[in-house]
This record gives sequence, C-alpha cells and structure tokens, in this order.
Amino acid sequence: MDLFLHLWIMILIYTIFAMSLNLEVGYTGLFNFGHVAFFGIGAYTSALLTLHQVPFELAFAAALIAAGLSGFFLSIPSLRLRGDYFGIATLGFGEIIRMIFQNEVWLTKGPMGLPGIPKPVLFSCRFATLPQYLLLTLGFAILTFLVLRFIIRSPLGRIFKAIREDEVASTALGKNVFHFRIKSFVIGSVFAGLAGTLWGHYITFISPGDFTLLETILVLLIVVLGGKGTEWGPVLGAIVLIFFQESLRFLRLPAEWAHYLAPLQQMIFGGLLVLLMIFRPEGILREKGKSTDVGTKRCQ
Amino acid sequence: MSFILQSIFNGLLAGCIYALFAMGLTLIYGVLNFVNFAHGELIMWGAYSLYLFMEKPFHLPLPVALIPSLSLTILLGMGMDRFTFKPLRQANRLTLLIAALGLSFLLRNGAQFFWGAELRTYGFQIRRGWRILNMSITPNQIAIILTTLICIMIVYLLFHRSRLGKSMRAVSDNLELARVVGIHTKRAIQFAWIISSSLACIGGILLALDTNLQPGMGLINLVKAFAATLLGGVGNLWGALLGGIVIGLAENLGVLVISTGYKDAIAFGIMVLLLLLKPSTLYGAQE
Repeated sequence: MDLFLHLWIMILIYTIFAMSLNLEVGYTGLFNFGHVAFFGIGAYTSALLTLHQVPFELAFAAALIAAGLSGFFLSIPSLRLRGDYFGIATLGFGEIIRMIFQNEVWLTKGPMGLPGIPKPVLFSCRFATLPQYLLLTLGFAILTFLVLRFIIRSPLGRIFKAIREDEVASTALGKNVFHFRIKSFVIGSVFAGLAGTLWGHYITFISPGDFTLLETILVLLIVVLGGKGTEWGPVLGAIVLIFFQESLRFLRLPAEWAHYLAPLQQMIFGGLLVLLMIFRPEGILREKGKSTDVGTKRCQ
Repeated sequence: MSFILQSIFNGLLAGCIYALFAMGLTLIYGVLNFVNFAHGELIMWGAYSLYLFMEKPFHLPLPVALIPSLSLTILLGMGMDRFTFKPLRQANRLTLLIAALGLSFLLRNGAQFFWGAELRTYGFQIRRGWRILNMSITPNQIAIILTTLICIMIVYLLFHRSRLGKSMRAVSDNLELARVVGIHTKRAIQFAWIISSSLACIGGILLALDTNLQPGMGLINLVKAFAATLLGGVGNLWGALLGGIVIGLAENLGVLVISTGYKDAIAFGIMVLLLLLKPSTLYGAQE
C-alpha cells in the first residue's frame, strides 16, 4: 500500500514538472534542455530556508520566486538565440547549476547534500504521512493543471502557439516574440520550481547528484511520449514512465546488478526518445487540429 | 610570472583540443544545418575506444590501437547519421534535436554500462616535464600540439585542395544549388561525418591523455565546443579554431581568479557575455 502511495506521489510530482515543460516545449516551441535547473533551484531554495526555520509558506513562495527569477535571467541572453542554440545554452545552464550546488559548500554543503529536510506544514496543516503528502501533491497538481490550462486557452496561450507555428507571422502581427518567449519560459520555470520543492520535501534528502541530465531527459521523455502540446499528454506520460522507473526500483534485484541496471535503464530512456522521434514524434495523444506532419520550419 | 606563462601554455594546449571539437561540430552544422547534440559522445567514445583496444584482451600499443579506434568512431558517426539523422532530414527541427539529445544520452550510458562511471586513464606513467622558460612541458603535451597542427593541416588541404573538400564547401554554402550543379551531395554529407568523427576521436584521445576518461566528458565538452563555435561564427571552420583557443586560454587564465570548481563554467560564461554584449553580430542570432 505504501508502495502504491509512493508511486502516485512521484507520478504527481513529475506530472507537475512535465506540465511546466510542456508549456515551453509543446506550446511555445522553446527547446529547453535544462529544465532540471529550475527543479533543482526550487528544491534547494525551499530546503535551505526550511532548514533555517523559515515558515513553510514563505519558503515555498521564495522557491517559486527563485526559480522564476533565474528563468528570467537565463532567458534574456539565451532567448536571443535561434532554436537549437537556445537548446545548447539551456543544456549548459543545467550543468552550471549543478556545479553551483556542488561548489558552494558554505551554502549547499556541496556533494554531501542536505539531509533532514522537514515535511511541510502549510497553514497549520501538517503533511507528514504518505496519504497526507499524496493529498498535498494532488492539490498542487490539480492547481497546476488548471492554471496552465487557463493560460493555454487564454489569448496569451494562443500567442504562444502562434509563435511556435510561425515566428515571422507573429512578428508581423505586432507581437513581440522575444517578450512572449520570456513569459512562457518564466511561467514554466516557476512550475518546475514547484515540482522541485514538492520533491525535496518528500524525499527529505537532496544532493547535487539528483539534478543531472537524467532528470531533464526523463521529463522531456514524459512530455513527448504523452504528447507534447496536449493537456493530458504529460499526465499520461508521467504515469507510464514513472511507473516503469519506480517499479524497477522495487523489483529487489541483486545488488551487484545495480552497477549495470542504472545505465541500462537510462539507455532505454535515451533509445526510446530516439525511436519516438523517428516513428511517432507526436506522442501517444495527438494535438488536436494538427496533422502528423508537424512543424513549418524544415531542416533542409 | 612563470605561473602566468604556464597558464598561457596550458590554455593554448586545451585550446588546441577544443578547436578540434569545435571544427567537427561546425562542419556538421555547415552541411546539415543543425547542432549535433551527440557530438560530445563522439568525443567520449573516441577516447574510450582507444582505451578498449589498449586494455585486455587486445593490449595494443597506442599507435596501433589508434587505427581500430578511429575506425570505430567513424563508424559510430556514420551510424548516427544513417539511423537517426537521415530518417529525420525532413522532420521538424524540435524532433531532430530531441532525437539527437536522446541519442547522446543513450551513447553516454552505453559507455557507463561497459566501463562504469569511475575515472580512468590510459595507464601511462606520469613523466617529469622538461623545463623551458620556467614552464614545465611534458612530452605528452608536445605530442598534443603536434597532432593538432597535423590535423589542421590535413583539414586545410582537404578543404582547399581536394575535389571532395570543395564539393563539401559547396554543399555547406547552399545544398540545393550544389545539387543542381551536379555535386554528389550524399557523398559530401558522408564525408563531413567522417571528418567530424575523426576530429572528435582524435580530440577526445588527446583530452584523455591530458586529463582522464569519464562518461560525462562528452556533454561538458559539447558546451565548450559550442561556445568556441559561437565565438568564431557558426559554420566557419577557421573561426572555430580561433574560438577554441580563446576558450582554452580563458579557462586556464580564469582559474587564477576564480575557484577551480568553476573551470568548466567559464566557456558558458563567455557564451552568455557574448550574447549579452553583441547578439546582433552573431551569425546564428535570431532571424
């Protein structure tokens, strides 16, 4: 039963994480390959503050603001870049953030990590046990879903999609493309920060090794497997992939296999991403009103 | 003073290696018009493949092991193109990049699967360097500089003297036009992959000689190679060479001022500064 609850908590956290990436990759067409950075910033900010006895409400808010601000500052130089260059800039940023977690020992305790992150107490309501935490993550997941759906269905969301489809036409219609891309990126970063915060307080121990390229790949895979640019795609993707990942953890395989199992599992993730892109780039759920032949910008 | 001189020397040395990475990256960009996110993995596999042939069961000496190692990396590069990028030639750019990223992750973990995540070296004895101008210079380092110079010479001759090189430059300038005038574009693309993989393999080996082997070495060097490429102007082979040297120098002089833990972040910092200060001059800036 505990296993089952754990599984659903992880699924919900990754759903939030994936929904935030979906706004950027799926709806706005931003190639963000360093999304883990904001997840990490959220987790570290909230963990550090609560470990220093800051009230949870404040720490949560600070974590979201920190993630949003760092997204803002990254986006100013890098969103000037064309798509694939932006991708590499974010990829680099993800590595740099991990380097900071690792090197600023006075703040983050470096590779030792931060143990004993307290369980949250929000508005004098304590979320310590598994069912309570599930409720908390469920609440935030629904909130995220609704907020992002509201954005996507609003005029703002339509501009995002217009930019994704045709940048030049959007500019011609008087939309400041750079400006709207920053907006999308910051909103996405804030929700990634939320996911990171929830994750940190659930796991109660974080270290720089938790925020590697693996997380980025996993969340990207969730988005494209479920169906990028769809409302339910990230939810579906998270259920499938997190179930796969976490069930491997509980198979009780011999310890000496672990050495091979982790890279093997990650090879599967990488390979799956390649196969999906070649054979079904639109994912399980297809975005409405789009033909299979997605995209207007062609490579050659 | 000798400290600074030594740093400059080390910077030039690292710069030579980054230049090889950046030239390979920019070459593929020129011909296929996309950033190969898996280029770092060609670097890493190049270095590991030499390790493979130098350890048991092969135990080949370095110069001999170089041949199968180079062939393996070229095969890997061409395989990448054949099985991932070629089916996606007509695809959306996002699709292509996600596939490249997935491929890079697959290859990185493939190396980790076989060799583990720990640091490895080729197992050469560390030799005491010669002292020249108060700098310590090891034979390895001389070898690195010489190899780089030879590689650059070969690339120059290929591009400016051979028919194939010229056809590749034509494809890089304008694919459609090249096709119209009867250039065998498929061959030119294959050739670009061969050169790019060879440069990655040699650069990776040199880097591993100078430092060590680790499955994560691909990703961080991809970022450096990209920063060098941006500095030199994307698609510009000789700009990439210069950019690589600038990055190498900046890294080794930078650690005199900031913590060595951030050495790998310097290339990224240069990239961000460049974008903030002179975004318009970049060839690849937002159209």
